[in-house]
This record gives sequence, C-alpha cells and structure tokens, in this order.
Amino acid sequence: MATDNLVQTPPPHLRSKEQTAVAMRDVLIALAPVTIAALVAFTYNALFVIAVCVGSCMFFEWAVRKLRKKKVTLRDGSAAVTGLLLALLMPAQIHWLNMIIASFIAIVVIKELMGGLGRNIFNPALFGYVFIITCSGILASWTGHLGFLSAGFDGVTGATPLAFIGPGLESMGPSYGSLLFANYGGAISEVGAFWVLLGGAYLIYRKVIGWVIPTTILATVFVLSYIVGSDGLYQILAGGVMLGAFFMATDWVSSPMFTWGQVIFGLIIGVCIVLIRVFGAPTGAVAYSIIIGNCFVPLLDKVFKPKRFGEVVAA
Amino acid sequence: MSIASRLRVRVRGGVHPPGSKDFTAAKPIREIEAPSLLTIPMRQHLGAPCVPRVKKGDEVAMGMVIGDCESFVSAPIHSSVSGKVAQVAPQPHPAGGEILAVIVENDGEYRSDPSLSPPGSWEDMNGNAIREAIRAAGIVGLGGAAFPTHVKLNPPREYPIDTVILNGAECEPFLTSDYRLMLEQPDVVLEGLLIIMRVVGAARGIIAIEDNKPQALKKMAAASKDTDIEVSHLRTRYPQGAEKVLITGLLGREVPSGGLPMHVGVVVNNVGTAFAIATYFSTGMPLIKRVVTVTGSIVREPSNLMVPLGTSFAHAIEACGGFTEPPGKVLMGGPMMGLAQYTLDVPVIKGTSGILALSHKETDYAEPSEPVCIRCGRCVEACPMGLIPTYLASYAYNEKWDELRRLDIADCIECGCCNYTCPTKNPMVQLIKMGKAELARLRDRSEKGREASGSAEAKGGGGDG
Repeated sequence: MATDNLVQTPPPHLRSKEQTAVAMRDVLIALAPVTIAALVAFTYNALFVIAVCVGSCMFFEWAVRKLRKKKVTLRDGSAAVTGLLLALLMPAQIHWLNMIIASFIAIVVIKELMGGLGRNIFNPALFGYVFIITCSGILASWTGHLGFLSAGFDGVTGATPLAFIGPGLESMGPSYGSLLFANYGGAISEVGAFWVLLGGAYLIYRKVIGWVIPTTILATVFVLSYIVGSDGLYQILAGGVMLGAFFMATDWVSSPMFTWGQVIFGLIIGVCIVLIRVFGAPTGAVAYSIIIGNCFVPLLDKVFKPKRFGEVVAA
Repeated sequence: MSIASRLRVRVRGGVHPPGSKDFTAAKPIREIEAPSLLTIPMRQHLGAPCVPRVKKGDEVAMGMVIGDCESFVSAPIHSSVSGKVAQVAPQPHPAGGEILAVIVENDGEYRSDPSLSPPGSWEDMNGNAIREAIRAAGIVGLGGAAFPTHVKLNPPREYPIDTVILNGAECEPFLTSDYRLMLEQPDVVLEGLLIIMRVVGAARGIIAIEDNKPQALKKMAAASKDTDIEVSHLRTRYPQGAEKVLITGLLGREVPSGGLPMHVGVVVNNVGTAFAIATYFSTGMPLIKRVVTVTGSIVREPSNLMVPLGTSFAHAIEACGGFTEPPGKVLMGGPMMGLAQYTLDVPVIKGTSGILALSHKETDYAEPSEPVCIRCGRCVEACPMGLIPTYLASYAYNEKWDELRRLDIADCIECGCCNYTCPTKNPMVQLIKMGKAELARLRDRSEKGREASGSAEAKGGGGDG
C-alpha cells in the first residue's frame, strides 16, 4: 500500500473557509454602493482620489514589506481596504500629494511600523486622514510656497451639512431625505448615508462585523444629540457617522474583542462625536472620536473578559 | 418515554464543520477477519500502562488476559484471538511513540478462554460487583479518551450521582460508529445505560443525540419506550459531545473550572462503552473488538467495521478496498481531534473510533509562517470553555507561563474550534497544547526540585505550580 510521505500535523485537520482575504473582499463589496454613489456624484474626481489612495497604500505596503524583508501580503486585501477607506474620507478636489502623505502615514507608520497586520493600535486609514487634516496647515506654513498642502479641504463650494450642526441650526441644513440618498458635501463618501448603511447591513449579515459597535455608536449619537439640544437624526445622517460606525470603528484590529468592551467603546466614540461636533469643530469629529476610542481598546480588553465556563461556581 | 424537547439551555461557542457522515452512515457494521499477526499494545487507556502477563512462545486463547496492572486507574488487556505470542516488544503506537506490545500469531481457530463466562445477572449484583466485572472486561471510555470505566463509575461518596448521560452526540465529522450501534443494537445500548445507572445509583438516564441523526433518535426512543429513560435532541454542532458542553446543554449545570462531571452529579458515558458493558454481561467476552469507522473520500469502500483490537490500520483499510489514491494524512479519530499517523502498521486500540484518510489535496491548507492575530474575536466566540484562545496562543508562543495560568489554560478541552474558525489560520490549539505540556513539565520539575532540596527552591519558570 502506498503510504509514503504521510503528513503528520497536530489536529485539527480541518479549516473553515474563512480567511482574512475573504473578509476583506466582503468589506470591498460592502463599500461598493457608496463608492459607486461617489463616482456618480464626483465622476473622474472621485476616480482620481480612489486610484491615488488605493494605489499608494498598496505601493507602500509592498515597499515596506520588501524593506523589512517580510513576505508581501498584498493578497490579503487589507492594504486595498485601507486605501479605499482613506479615499472615501477625502474631499473630491484634493491635491494628490496630500493623499500620498496620508497613505504613507496609514500604511508605513501606523500599520507596518507598529508590527504589521493585527498589531496596529489605531485604524490606519483614519489616522492618515487625521494626520493631514491636522497637519496640512502647519506643513503649508512651514513650506510656504507649497500651497497645495492646504488647498482642497472644505474645497466643495458652499457649506457642507456639518456647518449646520448645533442647537436649532439643523433645520436650515439639507433635508433628511437628501442626507440619506443624495447630498453632496465634504468627503466623497458623503453622498448619502443610505449607501453606507446598505454596506454595513451586508457586513453584519455576512458576520464580518458584529452589530454591537455600530448600534451603540449610532444610538449614543442619536440620544445624546437630543440631550444637548441638537437634532439626533440629522447628526447620524450627516457627515461620516455612518461610515465611521460601520466601517472604521468596527475594524477588527483596533476595536475591543469582547461584548461589554465593545459597548463601552461605542459609548466613548458616540459621546466624543457629539461633544466635538457641537462644542468643537465638526470637520473630522468622527475620525478624532474613533481614534480616541482606539486608545481605550487595550484597557477595555483587559477589563471586560468573557465569562469563563464554570467560573461562577468555581470552588 | 417519548423524545424530549430540544436542548434546553443555549450553550455558547462551537463551530459547524461539514458533517461528512454520508460516506458510512448507511453502511451496516461488518465483522472483519482478524489478520495473521495482531499487535496488542500494553497502553490502551489513560492511567497506568499494563504489564505483560505472557511471554514469547506462550499459547493464548481469545479473551485471555495478556496484560494487567495493580494500579487502580488502569484496565486489563485481553487477547483478541487465539494463538501464540510471537514477540513482546515496543511497537509503533497510534497515540505516538513506541509502546510495549504483545504480538499474537493468530491460529485462526478463535478458541475462547474456557474460564470466561458471563458475570451473572446485573440486576442481582451490587455496584461494587458490577464495577469489578467492568474492570475485568477491560472496558474503558470508547469515545476516544479511553478513561477506565470502572474508575469513572466510582465517584467518591461526597458526590452523589443523580443523572447518567449516554453520549450519542458523535459530533466529530466523518465518524458513524456510535450512530450505527444505536441503529443496529438499540436494546443492547439501552441495557448498557441501565447497568451504568445501577452502578452509580442514578435515577435519571438521558440518551443525547444530535438532531442530524433522526433515525437514531427514533430507534433509541422506541427501545426505551417502556423505561423512564429520556431521549434528547441536541443541536448539531461541534463540540456538542464534549462532556462539559453536553451537561450544560441538557441540564443547565456548569461543571466548575478544573472540575469533573461528578462534581455536578453527572456521569457521561459513550454509546460504545454502554454497548461493551452490556455485551460483556450477556456473553462474558471481554473487550476484544470494537466498531471502527474507516472512511474518507479516498477510501474505496468506506465502512463501519467490527475490528479485533490489535488489527493494523493497514489491514482495516485493506478490508475497505484500500485507497483510491495515496493518502496525505491518515488519522486515528475524526478530523477535529484525530491523531495523524506516520505509519499504517499501528494497531486499532480501545480508543480507535475511526480511521480517516485524507487526500493530499484535502490536507493542503495554507498555514501562516508566524502566528498572526487580527483580533477578529472568532476564536473567542467559538471557544466552548469561554477562554481567549488567541491570548493563550500568544502567551504560549512568547513563553509567558504565569499569564497562561491566570487565563486558565488548563480548562482548554483542545477541541480545535479556535483553529478551525480563525481567518488567519493561527495554530492556536497547537500552541495551547504546547503551553500546557510546558507548564506540566515546569510543575514536575519544581516538585522534584522541592523533594530533592527539601526546600521550595525550585528553579526554572513560574514555579507556583
């Protein structure tokens, strides 16, 4: 009987079909509606933004893995997802150098220098975005003639929906219906909350993400807005709350693993969103809030462990 | 009694690997001819190994004791055929390594040991007498763990047993040996359960079967209709048949961390074990053969075989027409917890519930070059013990022994759900096993160190054992 070369490995000898690459493909599918809506709204401008962000994120991932002499893992799709998420946060008329700087920060600094996939404390795309919105003005003033660094932000003519956030102001902004389906302003993903929600629902259906984090964030923003005298529904439909709640805060790596930690995480983010939006500057409020939330993750995972089997009656 | 309602308590964790039971579910159990040489290892159970009671050249009869041990946690080993002892020597063992074995030359006459006779009617025997009979028959847990049954059925007085669960879950994919026994011998299986209940003095008996085996449910319900035995549906899910998971699902009782089923008043036995017990009481023949599912997509005629213990894997596979293509892996047991073999010369032992052959293609899955965790939490969801497999694996990888103890690594039942479900295929259960083994080694060493020096100056590792 031919029994040479029998493979010996410890059990289990079966593996589920679940793979990082499959999950990342699901995220890309889930982002399709909002991406298409963005392309319809901003046409080649959006296409340019997406191409630059995705391309540079994948390039940086490839380059840094090569430099670190590690296996290139572009095929797991996580760099492409980071690139697309980053693109969706960008306004349509932004100088390409901004996007390349953001991609560099996201992939090289936040992801790879922290140890690669699975070890980043912050969501890479968000951090890249936050870096350029906070630093572009400073960079521009340092370099003087490089005006491109600050050009483009809030470059959409007219006020974005976020300009109407504040007690009593929301009624002057766009209607709920247009916020849901077709209101253009701010980032290229802000083309209708519905398209994002659709993708989020798909991710929950496919069990790529859980429902706890997005639900807690949306509920907190909704309720707290009314408490501080703002319009809760307007708040969750305008700006990046939906994208943040379903696609950014739920990032596996930078969110808590256990249910109660996830609830607290969602609460922290929701509270920060409302406070920053209402009492601070609305641009980037969601991004800042999620990054603040990310900081709490190691602590939350330490405090809220799942209940062990047999723990309650342990002798 | 009629079929009881479904699982009363929702149990957490678990995964749904493909059942793959169609290969053999419809195949009746078939007796096979014993080979001309049988290799009968002296370790076929948990606990102390047996010492050979025969030497080279001795004549043996079928059912004769050829190995035994004074130790309480042990069970005697019998010859599966009649013939002559060809050799007593270490031989490859399906659980790994080489173990002392008695090699019997089969004379083909199958002469029973004349001293064998049924131990009497169990209804007239007390618990101790039945336990002694079970020990004499060499019966151990046939689900795979092979813990000596007479020990399991002898809980200390302070832990009264009120319920016996007969485990017919057979949650491992591919395996159908318990299923076939329930279909073909429901009365014998039931009698085995009644004997066990009598031994431990339990009033309640539950037969637990996963709901992907409706025929077995029906058969067992019909067999037990004149008794108080309950037949219970279980949600099909792995590892439904793990003792602790089973007890929680059926009774809502949680075995305490580090504890045993008896601590919540329960004894769990496998269908095959019950069958072996009842068979011994009716025939007087000790445990010398068992049902083995020989299966896999590359086995020509996957079958459920009644195999004399000591038969080589190669012989059992030949009895199923051999392979259609060279195997990638041959396992003892199912795909989730089975042990990969390096040779087919290993024998079928008491714990061999199945022989599974996987093709090279089926065993070819990408493993990461280093453990990567993307913190998705799948393993935490899948862990039936409520542990955090990814942390345990990472601590084991980084040799953080104290952290491992703090996270209750000892509670891991090694079901492999974490590894199965992980998107990055992080080898968690392997790392956890390594961590457990290392902790045990450290504990041994620190105990030895204490004995040697007379002080607690044990070196090497955490040492708070």
